[in-house]
Amino acid sequence: MTGTIRLLLPLSWRNLWRNPRRTVITVLVVGVGLWSILIFAVLLNAWSQSSRDTTVSLMTGEAEIHAKGYLDDPTAAHRLRMPSGRLAQILGSRQTAAWSPRVRVSAIVQSEYKTLPITFVGVSPTRERMISDLPRDIVAGHYLSGPNDQGIVLGQDLVRRLKTAIGRRVVIMAQDATGQLRERAFQVIGIYRASQTAEDEFTFTGIHVAQALVRAGSDVSEIALDARTRNELPRLITALKAAAPDLDIQSWETLAPLAYAVSTFFNSFILLWLWVMFALMAIGIVNSQLMAVIERVHEFGLLQALGMQPRLILCEVAIESVLLIGVGVIVGIAAAIVSVAAFPNGIDLGFLGRGAELVGAGRILHPKLAMGDLVLYSGIVWIAGVVATLWPARRAAKVSPVEAMGRN
Amino acid sequence: MRPYMTAAVVTASLMITSQAIAANADALVRAAFNNWRGQSSQTKVTMLVHRPDWERRMTIKAYTRGNDDALVRFTAPAEDAGNATLKTADGTWIFNPKLNQVVKLPPSMLAQSWMGSDFSYNDLSKSEELLTDYTHKIVGQKTVAGHIVYTIDAIPKPGAPVVWGMLEVKVRDDGVMLGETYFDQNMNMVRRMTTDKVGIIGGRPYPVIMTMHPADKPGRWTRIETLAGRFNISPPLYLFTLSNLQNPRH
Repeated sequence: MTGTIRLLLPLSWRNLWRNPRRTVITVLVVGVGLWSILIFAVLLNAWSQSSRDTTVSLMTGEAEIHAKGYLDDPTAAHRLRMPSGRLAQILGSRQTAAWSPRVRVSAIVQSEYKTLPITFVGVSPTRERMISDLPRDIVAGHYLSGPNDQGIVLGQDLVRRLKTAIGRRVVIMAQDATGQLRERAFQVIGIYRASQTAEDEFTFTGIHVAQALVRAGSDVSEIALDARTRNELPRLITALKAAAPDLDIQSWETLAPLAYAVSTFFNSFILLWLWVMFALMAIGIVNSQLMAVIERVHEFGLLQALGMQPRLILCEVAIESVLLIGVGVIVGIAAAIVSVAAFPNGIDLGFLGRGAELVGAGRILHPKLAMGDLVLYSGIVWIAGVVATLWPARRAAKVSPVEAMGRN
Repeated sequence: MRPYMTAAVVTASLMITSQAIAANADALVRAAFNNWRGQSSQTKVTMLVHRPDWERRMTIKAYTRGNDDALVRFTAPAEDAGNATLKTADGTWIFNPKLNQVVKLPPSMLAQSWMGSDFSYNDLSKSEELLTDYTHKIVGQKTVAGHIVYTIDAIPKPGAPVVWGMLEVKVRDDGVMLGETYFDQNMNMVRRMTTDKVGIIGGRPYPVIMTMHPADKPGRWTRIETLAGRFNISPPLYLFTLSNLQNPRH
């Protein structure tokens, strides 16, 4: 067997380069096709990753705990006690990477010029930093310094719409736990940058200040948390639900269905693209291999007349395809690696402006060639390509020597 | 009221300490409010909303009691007649006769325009804010037509839920409010209310015509003219209730 292969391998390789132009064209077809599949996979993965990360790291965290009814009516009337007992134990355990309690209520912000609806969030800065990226995205001023910080941090776009600035005063109006309207002046101490929707929605102050404003005592509206690893999230949620059956505990998939839909949709889209590209590639490969076989009918006849078995001819042509497509696959992989390496700092979607936010992506995509994807898609192309060339190979093997050599 | 006021003004003008002047300024602003609303008031008012392209006149009956309660009912034109706004310490409600429904105003609505004018519901419901949330200081005085007109800077108290940087209030020595200018926190003028005519209403000198001008919208203003008024009456207890808002006995 090895002997046969040792015989056929150089033969096939040499055959490949008997018509270099045709070979190069086929290699290019395979290479470009695979490159496009890989690049698509990389980009869409980066996009869905970014949309998930943007959502999860913006505010949501990987999961959130609320009082029942809060999600339908986000007011101070629906709140929960700071975790204690079993719940606190799980949150403090190694299963949980971080958790952050928040007061989070619908409110109104008022400046000299505008009154706008917002979500008023009281946070504990040290904990919040472990869950959310927002505290790091300050573009002016500074973030809250502690749970008693009386300043307010606003989004860039909100500041523009309110025509206010760092150091100026805005008034927050919110309903307290009993439904009474409460108001308080806050000094703007920091401005953050995020998606426009987030900038317009979220305003932050110290959690104790927010608790006092809405008279929530030491209660909170929600707890956002991250699992130690993403795979452990379902288990963590089950454990939390068991520890606090009367609370509403959900993962980011249900809290942010758009981000989840984007990531699921993109995964299916990659597969769809794979098969479209493959169909096109297969036509090119089969065509050129068919030509190669038909051109060499005379030669196959001679080989058979010299005693080569049809089985080996089939083998020989198949090995040719394996080599041909293999070279194409390597070219495709190399091109994909080079393309991805060309963007070491990620792809800045700044040119799309704020349009990219519509589909939930962050501003910068970080393309990364996943080894699994690479092997999977290359493997599929390679194997399916070889399978497609079995038809021309079979044709070559079926040639009868007399007939073949009789042809001129 | 009047003798006390005069005494306060005289005392303050003799004193040099800023504290006394501040107290005097407080008294002046309070006097202006007392003059404007009294313990209680019942006024008939027309409101003229002016825009570059159109103008619209509405007639209003308004009742106030103390600092908290106000009931405003539109009587003309026909399509607005019956619309009413009730403000109490507990909140602000509006009544629409076409829907025959009372709606409690959500906080987000409080800053919206009131019946298309340059006033907001907040202006209606927070009128006493000037008394409670600001420190007052006399910064100038001028004699106009035999009266001393004081210019008072009202600076928000620290932590007061106020968006303005400063209000500049002009009050005449007999307690007539002559103007109010709103500044943002960079001390740019945002809007300005002027008293265009002083007359006698309900037996007292009164700012009969007042106009509100937003600074950034030239050609737009709202003018309020008081036609008649009675002060320190004893309004019936049911006046400032939701039931009276919906089924008016007044």
